[in-house]
Amino acid sequence: MKPVIVVHGGAWAVPDELSKASVDGVKAAARAGFAVLEKGASALDAVEAAVRALEDNPVFDAGHGAVQNTAGEVELDAIIMDGSTLASGAVSSVRNIANPITLARAVMEQTEHAMLTDRGANLFAEKMGLPTVTTEDLVTETERREWERQKSYAVGVKELFNKQWVHDTVGAVALDSHGNVACATSTGGIRHKMVGRVGDSPIIGQGVTEAVKKALKYMGERVQGGGGAIAVCPSGQWAANFTTKRMAWACVDGEALHYGLNPKEEFQEAP
Amino acid sequence: MGPQPLKRAPPLVRRRALSFENGGSPDVHTGSFLLSPIVVSWRRTSHHPPPAPRVFHPPSSCMSAVLCFKCQSVLCQVPVKVMLPVIVIHGGAGHIPKERAQLSCAGVREAARGGYGILRASGSAMDAVVEAVTMLENNPAYNAGRGSVLNVKGEVEMDAIVMDGRTLDSGAVSAVRRVANPVQLARLVMEKTKHLCLTAEGASQFARAMGIPEVPEESLITDYARMRWKKNLAPDANPVECQMGKMGTVGAVAVDTEGNVACATSTGGMINKMEGRVGDTPCIGCGGYADNKVGAVSPTGHGEAIMKVTLSRLILFHMEQGRSAEEASDLGLAYMKERVQGLGGVVTVDPKGAWAARFSSLQMAWAAVQDEQLHYGLYAGEHFTESAQEQS
Repeated sequence: MKPVIVVHGGAWAVPDELSKASVDGVKAAARAGFAVLEKGASALDAVEAAVRALEDNPVFDAGHGAVQNTAGEVELDAIIMDGSTLASGAVSSVRNIANPITLARAVMEQTEHAMLTDRGANLFAEKMGLPTVTTEDLVTETERREWERQKSYAVGVKELFNKQWVHDTVGAVALDSHGNVACATSTGGIRHKMVGRVGDSPIIGQGVTEAVKKALKYMGERVQGGGGAIAVCPSGQWAANFTTKRMAWACVDGEALHYGLNPKEEFQEAP
Repeated sequence: MGPQPLKRAPPLVRRRALSFENGGSPDVHTGSFLLSPIVVSWRRTSHHPPPAPRVFHPPSSCMSAVLCFKCQSVLCQVPVKVMLPVIVIHGGAGHIPKERAQLSCAGVREAARGGYGILRASGSAMDAVVEAVTMLENNPAYNAGRGSVLNVKGEVEMDAIVMDGRTLDSGAVSAVRRVANPVQLARLVMEKTKHLCLTAEGASQFARAMGIPEVPEESLITDYARMRWKKNLAPDANPVECQMGKMGTVGAVAVDTEGNVACATSTGGMINKMEGRVGDTPCIGCGGYADNKVGAVSPTGHGEAIMKVTLSRLILFHMEQGRSAEEASDLGLAYMKERVQGLGGVVTVDPKGAWAARFSSLQMAWAAVQDEQLHYGLYAGEHFTESAQEQS
């Protein structure tokens, strides 16, 4: 089986000054994930590696670079799922963790549960010996300024996604050489969200199993929601689509690195 | 003397001309009365000699029957069954100790009647499911609200969700503490915030902002919950098995007279769970889903398994593909059992009022009200009916 990995850096109106950094970021993450697959490791390992790379990159709203809630704190959500067993782990509203995706994987592998939230998630991280980082470390200077500017949260969520400046979720899906699929998603959520707000990231099955385009169209028609998704199926077919202005995405399928930012855009280079 | 020639429009059907030997009223016969064969004989009149008695086998849906005087054939009046409104309730899937079975069954019947009362008064499906689940939260026999199981620290952390099939609006709370009715808080998240789910301390902050009184932890804890918590602190205890050894989560689905569907689910979660553990209940598509175009589902069972297969959305997916509420529920539960060895149960409705209460666990206390009839059961294959007006 030919391994494949697809990553995205969030569906939103990526501003021009961030577009190069976004595309470079997803390309690097796709390569990092594919390197894991090439070594014969599992899809699960690959999506974790790719999402960790995105979390560590301050360009994206996940881990370093996450947005702040109304109280000025960073609360992170993440999910990981193993297609071979349907095992899944998630954390919601966890604080001061640089790589929530790794914590989500620990929930999957080290507990009998599928999701831990808030303080319980942090207690578990402590027990697992995961290092903590300060909120100041996670928040970029740009984010701090934006947060101040939008303090009132006067703008609706719809506008955030459909029009302008919301950073968004990062994610990865992969197929390994054994035919197993896995997905991982991580986010800081939306700026000025309420304390304790949990979004879609820690919820299983959304966006990956459905045919991407149809699902996005349905979401747009039914609840006027803009968004993006990446998908891979056990046959090796993959997709990256979005209904927002832009979404940085990249895919390595062994033959080439495919990537894009604007609608209907697809570039290729050597992997 | 032969039949008299008729002068005006012939009265094809003469109701008074028949009688039932088993003593029923000759006019209109309703309910189960007609379910057994009846010997029908003609009454002697001054004009006609009585034809020979005959046995009439009415179909089960027959509400009243009349005999044609001339041809002696039986005309069944099969009225269109009133499908809306309908409400279906569950009180958790699993295995329930005998001494608690009575309580569990009584509670779901009461909640079904309560929710139906709202629907009959033209209330919305959302009002009805929230009312029914609130009643179950207040009832200490269930693992939701008062009576919730305790986490490993001996605290109560609750999850709840509501969803409105008209708009796909949804609200949820996870790991919330010290509120009497998490389902009502979930509804406030839906109606008063721009978000779908609030968790732990954030959910409590929101409750305070909404003026919901904080209740003492003790008021939510029953002796039974504390006993089971202690029992499961032993290092060799198996909380998942123990969980299946009790009734869990509560939930409701309903369709109102306008054809709107809604669902609500509430739970104390899994016994001796880790602090901060979130199960399927507050996750949209897992612990509930409602869509006017398809139907509504509220599940119960092993939360981690329900999440893995996104059970509620999976069942609605099968219904979108043309399966009935019952077939889709069975397919979803069978997949969960086969793929992740998870047991559970669901209540499901479609917008036309067809409903199902299905489970793969040993028991699930369920009750439904439709067309003034209360349906209920506990074991697989059990299905009792009584008038919705009777009080048990």
